Amino acid sequence: MEGRLATFGIIAKIAFRNLFASRLKTAIVGGIILGGALLVVVVGSFVDSVVAGMRRSIVGSVAGDIQVYSSQSKDPLEVMGGFSLEAPDLASLDDFAKVKQVLETVPNVKSVVPMGINGAIVPSGNTIDVALAHLRDLVRRKLSGKTSAGDVAAYEAEKGHVHQILSVLQGDIKNARQLQDEKALSPEDAAAVNKAISPAFWADFDKNPLDSLEFLENKIAPQAIDADMLFLRYVGTDPAAFARSFDRMKIVDGTTIPEGKRGFLFSKYMYEDQVKLKTARRLDKIKTARNERGEKIATDAELKRFVRENSNQVREIMLQLDAPKTALFRDKLQKKLGSSEADVAKLLSSFFQTDDLNFDDRYDFFYKELAPSLELYRIRIGDTLTIKAFTRSGYVQSVNVPVYGTFDFTGLEKSPQAGSLNLMDMVSFRDLYGFLTAERAQEIGELKKAMNAREISRDNAEAELFGTKELAKPEPAPGAPTTVPLAAGPVKRGHGKKKGAAQAVPAPSAPVQATGRTIVAEATPGLNPPTGEGVGAKLTREELVKRVYDPAQLQSGAVLNAAVILKDESKIPQTIAAIDAAGKKAGLPLKAITWQEASGFIGQMVVAFQAVLLVLVLIIFLVALVIISNALVMATLQRVQEIGTLRAVGAQRRFILAMLVLEGLVVAAVFGGAGVLLGALIVKVVGKIGIPAPNDVSYFFFSGPRLHLTLGTGNLVAALLIVFVVSGLSSLYPAWLAMRVNPRTAMQAEEG
Amino acid sequence: MKTIVAVKNATKNYALGKVTVPALRGVDLEVAEGEFLSIAGPSGSGKTTLLNLIGCVDTPTSGIVEVAGKDTRKLSERELTDLRLNTIGFIFQSFNLVQVLSVFQNVELPLLLQKKLNGAQRAERVEALLKRVGLDEHIRHRPSELSGGQRQRVAIARALVTRPQLVLADEPTANLDSVTGQNILDLMKELNQTEKTTFIFSTHDARVMSHASSVVRLADGKFVDRLTGAEAIAAGVNRKAPAAGVS
Repeated sequence: MEGRLATFGIIAKIAFRNLFASRLKTAIVGGIILGGALLVVVVGSFVDSVVAGMRRSIVGSVAGDIQVYSSQSKDPLEVMGGFSLEAPDLASLDDFAKVKQVLETVPNVKSVVPMGINGAIVPSGNTIDVALAHLRDLVRRKLSGKTSAGDVAAYEAEKGHVHQILSVLQGDIKNARQLQDEKALSPEDAAAVNKAISPAFWADFDKNPLDSLEFLENKIAPQAIDADMLFLRYVGTDPAAFARSFDRMKIVDGTTIPEGKRGFLFSKYMYEDQVKLKTARRLDKIKTARNERGEKIATDAELKRFVRENSNQVREIMLQLDAPKTALFRDKLQKKLGSSEADVAKLLSSFFQTDDLNFDDRYDFFYKELAPSLELYRIRIGDTLTIKAFTRSGYVQSVNVPVYGTFDFTGLEKSPQAGSLNLMDMVSFRDLYGFLTAERAQEIGELKKAMNAREISRDNAEAELFGTKELAKPEPAPGAPTTVPLAAGPVKRGHGKKKGAAQAVPAPSAPVQATGRTIVAEATPGLNPPTGEGVGAKLTREELVKRVYDPAQLQSGAVLNAAVILKDESKIPQTIAAIDAAGKKAGLPLKAITWQEASGFIGQMVVAFQAVLLVLVLIIFLVALVIISNALVMATLQRVQEIGTLRAVGAQRRFILAMLVLEGLVVAAVFGGAGVLLGALIVKVVGKIGIPAPNDVSYFFFSGPRLHLTLGTGNLVAALLIVFVVSGLSSLYPAWLAMRVNPRTAMQAEEG
Repeated sequence: MKTIVAVKNATKNYALGKVTVPALRGVDLEVAEGEFLSIAGPSGSGKTTLLNLIGCVDTPTSGIVEVAGKDTRKLSERELTDLRLNTIGFIFQSFNLVQVLSVFQNVELPLLLQKKLNGAQRAERVEALLKRVGLDEHIRHRPSELSGGQRQRVAIARALVTRPQLVLADEPTANLDSVTGQNILDLMKELNQTEKTTFIFSTHDARVMSHASSVVRLADGKFVDRLTGAEAIAAGVNRKAPAAGVS
């Protein structure tokens, strides 16, 4: 033992001294190893921190630790990935109460939040429609003789506003003439605008206000399209349970949706990004880029574009200006710009021509002097939003929901990803999705009583529908299976698609059967409104807004998916297995997936990040391997006589091998260790300061405005392991060469 | 006397590309224990090749080389290494000391490889030997801090530290001045006589040969004759060598 130790000592001594003797080689090899180890620790920690940040963002904003949905679904669930209107084809979990009960039997489950995610297109409002509706209201009051002095002023102001809109439209037509062939423009439209803007029209307006309004509504309003279609993705849920489970959620404007009420909460990000006056939004973006990222209008292409768009696109503001506001803006802008220009559009264009010197001043002026006279948001808190969405059976369903407020997630305020989902009460969601809610079932029951609805067979449908006898003789047979459609297009719904039980919306007493019956409703004479719209449409137009629902409905109805929050988030795989088992035991078709799977494309980015890191490390170390191996080969060739001498005096090959391996290990340990320590130090320091998010998208990956790197022991161990593996591998060839050195080499001085 | 080295009709060919170069052509040689034998001959005569075969750093292409009674052709690489470690000591023309080790460590190295002695025993033997070669003052020095003669003394001490039966020296004085060379030879001779260690050395220096108990002459890889030292000088073995003879 003592001899072995002494041998090791001499090997170590030779190894150490060789390292010092070949300083250049040691520096090259050591430098590469140090750099590699440092890189693995720093980049590894960065990726881990981003992954952890993404996890916090995804788990904390909508996904929860685990998502549960029906295993009978055709498509996989994606709670964050949707870029299209088409939602994944999911089968519903018909009784959320039971699902929740089963999930809560799993010990690691902390809470369960009902969910459903869908998308809808929402018109965000048309200025002339609003103005004309306002004017019509004022006209009504005027005609009723109940006008106050304020009403008279408002009436005149609103007339001025409509006139201003007409001026803008006339300008639009003039511009269009310059760009398009005259034939492409409708002469009727131009004539209508010319007529509407004429003094004669407005002179006649006071005499025949209703006719004039009708002309404006029919001939002018369709031309003044300034409304954007908003694509809203929303999660239908139990708002209270959602807020409790996702504790980073906070209400920014307004209030949360009151219990038992239908309602909608905008994500603050979307509200700002999509609903706010575009000019104001662009000003905000310029300010953020300048103040938080130190960018300059003069040098940043995007900011230059924002300035150009603000200067060129003043129409949105012009449409909002009535006569007094126009005068006010003219006055303020003339003073501000020191201009005598009378055209407010030109003044605004000039005002928004900002640069790095005047931006802050004009930003403040805009919000202080101009914004109070403008509708900054096209949808306001308190407005009622009509959301139209395709149900799963393909027909359009619409629901009116009041906007109660906006919300965001702490730390993710600027993240477009976290802000991509808005929030809606589950009951409204079910309506939009085509689920039969208890409320609707009751409603249908009531309608059934009021109508002579009956069931007819498909084979006989034509005769039943267009024949005379049957229709003339309704058969309100008690207990006969009858249903009514909820919306237009019942035939399509009735036997067209087959995407789940909930879509067919049968009345409780008349479940739709797979035999292909066609279900129609006969309207009771006199029930149809004069416009001729159907019962379904009538129902669609119901003011659901004011209705309350029993909060128990949230728990008892159908859901598409459920977010599961865990007590111990490190036990996701075990909990998924437990949920699967519990589902099977209870006879529920539950499929549990991780937050990463549920978040679709974004979740896969975690894997992508890790793959990129792996490839990067592999490339770096392959290069390092070659360089180190070359350096060691050179060093070995320089030591051939020394190795030959050692062999000649009796050193076995393994002694030579041990000597070289030890040299490699020492370099790996010393420089690899130094690299790991230095990397850890960098991670600690950077972790304390935090890396600022370079743009809005980064907020999501960083789970906040700054990424605070965390040092994982995994990275330290991985770095050392990689360093030792690479050192070992790169020593193989030089060691093989060294072992093959013939002891005769020692004699190779001059042959005697 | 017992034979320590027996070379029987040994040939050694080296491949130089596609050409085979014969370095030894059927050499016979017997060396008895305690001899102080010189192998002489001009450059290219096969002196170093013969020493390589005897020193077990090479094996013959044909014929037999026996060292301490062992046929080297029948030994594995590992056994050859063991034979070198335990039976043979080497003194090289260029000293071949491990530059990163001290004088003491260079000498101790073969003992460490042998793993037979403990630390104290090794230190005692190394120190005694260094004293014997006159380097007890330089025990902690590195080879780079020593003169050529001192380095060769370290090499001699390293060759003798395992108490080998045979010491092979390839032109041991070639890189030394004449006085130092003479001293080294005196030392080797003294050790030969006191330790009864067999010395075989190659040289083309007449004065070195004069110390030899016998001189084996080679020419073109063939055995020429075997003379005593005095006979060799009288026969003008090294006629072609420079007058100074030691470099």
